[in-house]
Amino acid sequence: MPFNRKPQKFNARINTVTIGSGDKTVAIGGNSTYPFYTFDAPTENTAKIGVEISDMGLEGLAEGIRAYYDGAATMADIARKAAAMEGADFVALALEGGDPNGENKSVDELIEVVKEVAGAIDCPLVVEGCKNVEKDAELLPKVAEVLQGRNVLILAEKEENYKAIGAAAGLAYGQIVGAESAVDINLAKQLNVVTTQLGVNAQKIVMNIGSACAGYGYEYVVSTMDRIKGAALSQNDNMLQMPIITPVASEVWGVKEASASEADMPEWGPQDERGVDMEIMTATADLAAGSDAVILRHPKSVATISKLIQALA
Amino acid sequence: MLLFDIVFNGNDSMYAEAEKAVNDAVAQYGEDMAVGFPDTAYGPACYYAETGIKITTLREAKEALVYIKGEMQRERRLDSVFKSGIATALSAELIELMKYIDGKQPYEAPYLGHMTDAQIRELGVPLVTYDIPAVAIIINAAPSVEEACALVKSYQAQGSFVCLVGGIIEQLKEANYNTGFNVRVFPMGENISSVAHAVSAACRTAMIFGNITPGDKAALQEYNFNRFRAFVNAFAPLDEKTVACGAGAIYYGFPVITNDMDFTPSIPKSLIKQPKVEEFNATSVEARNIKIKISNVDIPVAFGSAFEGEIIRRKNMQVEFDGSRVDCAELVHTCEPSEVEDHKITVIGPEVDEMEFGSKNSIAYVVKVAGKNMQPDFEPVIERKFHNYINCVEGVYHTGQRDMQRIRISIDAFNAGFKIRHIGEVLYTQVKNEFDAVVDKCEVVIYTDPAECTRIRHEVAIPIFDKRDDRLESLTDESVDVYYSCILCQAFSPSHVCVVTPERLGLCGAVSWLDAKATNELDPAGPCQVITKERPIDENLGAYEDVDEAVQKYSQGALEHVTLYSIMQDPMTSCGCFECICGIEPFSNGVVIANREYAGMTPLGMTFSEMASMTGGGVQTPGFMGHGKHFIASKKFMKAEGGIERIVWMPKELKDFIADKLNKTAKELYGIENFTDMIGDETVAEDPETLVAYLSEVGHPALGLEPMM
Repeated sequence: MPFNRKPQKFNARINTVTIGSGDKTVAIGGNSTYPFYTFDAPTENTAKIGVEISDMGLEGLAEGIRAYYDGAATMADIARKAAAMEGADFVALALEGGDPNGENKSVDELIEVVKEVAGAIDCPLVVEGCKNVEKDAELLPKVAEVLQGRNVLILAEKEENYKAIGAAAGLAYGQIVGAESAVDINLAKQLNVVTTQLGVNAQKIVMNIGSACAGYGYEYVVSTMDRIKGAALSQNDNMLQMPIITPVASEVWGVKEASASEADMPEWGPQDERGVDMEIMTATADLAAGSDAVILRHPKSVATISKLIQALA
Repeated sequence: MLLFDIVFNGNDSMYAEAEKAVNDAVAQYGEDMAVGFPDTAYGPACYYAETGIKITTLREAKEALVYIKGEMQRERRLDSVFKSGIATALSAELIELMKYIDGKQPYEAPYLGHMTDAQIRELGVPLVTYDIPAVAIIINAAPSVEEACALVKSYQAQGSFVCLVGGIIEQLKEANYNTGFNVRVFPMGENISSVAHAVSAACRTAMIFGNITPGDKAALQEYNFNRFRAFVNAFAPLDEKTVACGAGAIYYGFPVITNDMDFTPSIPKSLIKQPKVEEFNATSVEARNIKIKISNVDIPVAFGSAFEGEIIRRKNMQVEFDGSRVDCAELVHTCEPSEVEDHKITVIGPEVDEMEFGSKNSIAYVVKVAGKNMQPDFEPVIERKFHNYINCVEGVYHTGQRDMQRIRISIDAFNAGFKIRHIGEVLYTQVKNEFDAVVDKCEVVIYTDPAECTRIRHEVAIPIFDKRDDRLESLTDESVDVYYSCILCQAFSPSHVCVVTPERLGLCGAVSWLDAKATNELDPAGPCQVITKERPIDENLGAYEDVDEAVQKYSQGALEHVTLYSIMQDPMTSCGCFECICGIEPFSNGVVIANREYAGMTPLGMTFSEMASMTGGGVQTPGFMGHGKHFIASKKFMKAEGGIERIVWMPKELKDFIADKLNKTAKELYGIENFTDMIGDETVAEDPETLVAYLSEVGHPALGLEPMM
């Protein structure tokens, strides 16, 4: 009996969201197949990779990452190097220094960093908040304001602060809204519903459905992404057709496999390699489960994942 | 004079002024002269939003006059009044536009005139988040400088944004009152035409934040009506032009409140006469249906969930209130808006410091609420939260509910100054914050006078509780138009959907039909959604096309069909939180029910845990079903298979718990007395043979029924 090829055709597709302005933009989403199912339908946009940098500079970063940025004295230098990293599609600036339980930098101070980074590079930009919902509600609207015209992705609005961030980023200043929920399809959908009810265009929303490092309750992430893609494609649920971006770096570089020193754990091998392994494993799983973009830190991970995406495209 | 004539005359004079201003400008500068407001991409925004045409030259301004004239209909119909109102606003905008010609800066401090796009964008975010609850447009001078300042201050205190036109600006200046965009008090101009800057702000908000296409009049009106929470306060005497502008405001849904008692006829909810200036704020906020956000609870001790589990022992206690010994009650009571004075807290009877140390006292608190979307069905839902609210107070402890609550106030809380009225503050703040979707106004009356407490308990509270219980009893699946879905558990059980009906509460036992209804009203995008029941397939099975569609949708396609009343055909799924499981017992043609607390063996040869493994996770296993305890006594319990007479075994504890209700249902359905006594339990049998012998002995009806499979 001859092989009978039966492509799985969906009458629905993930929204295409373009980040950035001018000549250098990046499009994410747009596909009408499960991840990498290139045999079902042609791929519209391959998955994209962002390189994460932080307002905290190179402090506390792994050896291999610091080595890549060697000689970068200012945030502008760091941003330029990140943009030039092999395999990078965009730069993600995390404003983690704003966390009131950490450095607690002022909004004005962080806005200066945002301006410096945005001024140094012309590639698409994602700005991540400090993860504190109150501080982000104050900080991210200002970020959206100073970056008017750049069409940046603001990560992220959450259930607690969606009005302030959604209205500023999505309505007042025409940026792209990143909607972050905690690994639950219903919460992800609910946030999209209320964000669109604010008046934000559904085509200008990207989801961060939450993540974990591989091995740390990660199976929830897989099943949630799976179900979101399933509902978006097979049920044509337009409140789940937003592309998914997953910040991988902030999850993986804190776990013990990446942070324990070689002196403490000689049997685990070199620390830098372990971190890269965790980052690559997690990112690969995210992409296979449904992420349309991932955010990474280490140049080796970026290069490897980029190669993987090209090979499977 | 009729309102028609006032508006038409006012419109005529505003238009005449606009015509003159444009013609004068043309004479001076020629038709090609560019015109526009500073720092905006929208040109004259009212005209742009209404028509889709951006005026950039004097020639276009002249053409706009032609359009405006065409809108000035003079038929004695409401529609003409509204069109003339808008035409007045557009004429005013042209007048203002001419002031800015040739780069002029027509306004000097304190007057600000035109608002920039950057300011609109800055305002928009807090408007969306309700940090700016309202935009108040105040026109003309108040009766006194003091009243002017007090009114503006009352709006500022709420966080509202105030636009000023005319005499009130001079009044504030006289009182040295600080104004400006940064303090949210924006003096626009001396003449009524400057009100166009406020309308322009509304129109630009609609275009920026509402994605309204310029020229889409209907969408603009709808946006302003539903989303832009503005109102007008116009002081006497009103002239015709002001009333004509007011007609435009009312068309956009902005009510006009005035103290001019003899000039204008009033229109309910739109043109309201309020002689007292001190009432302007409350009247306006109510007329526009604005909810004011409250930030913190004003009490002398801390408030937060950290204190929820705190227990006050007798030795640390200042006073206590105990519903099991003396008369107490807690009650939410739905009232008409006029019967409720927002944030009023009254204590009738002694305060804590007048009570003897260590004494047991009476307390009854009645929380009066009013709101457009409030329904008496939500009363118990709000009431049930009181326990949680009062417990969150540091040094105060609460248990029980209805007329059986018990409260203790600690010595430390007393020493910190905690009073009975602070309980009122807590209830007020929390009810307003958490139930803002349904509660617009809230007032608290606390009785500590023993005689009053007795009266409230026996004459007010208990009759209401009885009425509620009767209502719950009378709610049947047939008597309601909709059911609700509940997907609260999907975080753990992704493909499970509960269909909650009056006679079948959620299987967790915690979500009744009324709870689901309230959840839906309070959080419309939340876990409980309406399921219609308009297309029955088989009413005996409880199969509906609507239910199937909902289940398919909310399970993301994992489930296709669910029946409400059968455990054999497409039974409802279970997450894992069920209180009980019933499973088919083939020897007796019946079912066995086990509750979660029961650790022993059942005649099925399975324990509760073993039965649970066949039932949870959102899978359909015919013959097994998870459910709530109270569902057992429901007439809808496996109705398709014959109902409760199929129940042959339950653990004793569960049997005792449900006996009264179950016996009542059995009597009503089959005329069987003391049905529960026929049901086996672990003291009778833990294996099927002994059970069947027992059932034959007592003559259990299940033995005579058709086999279930």
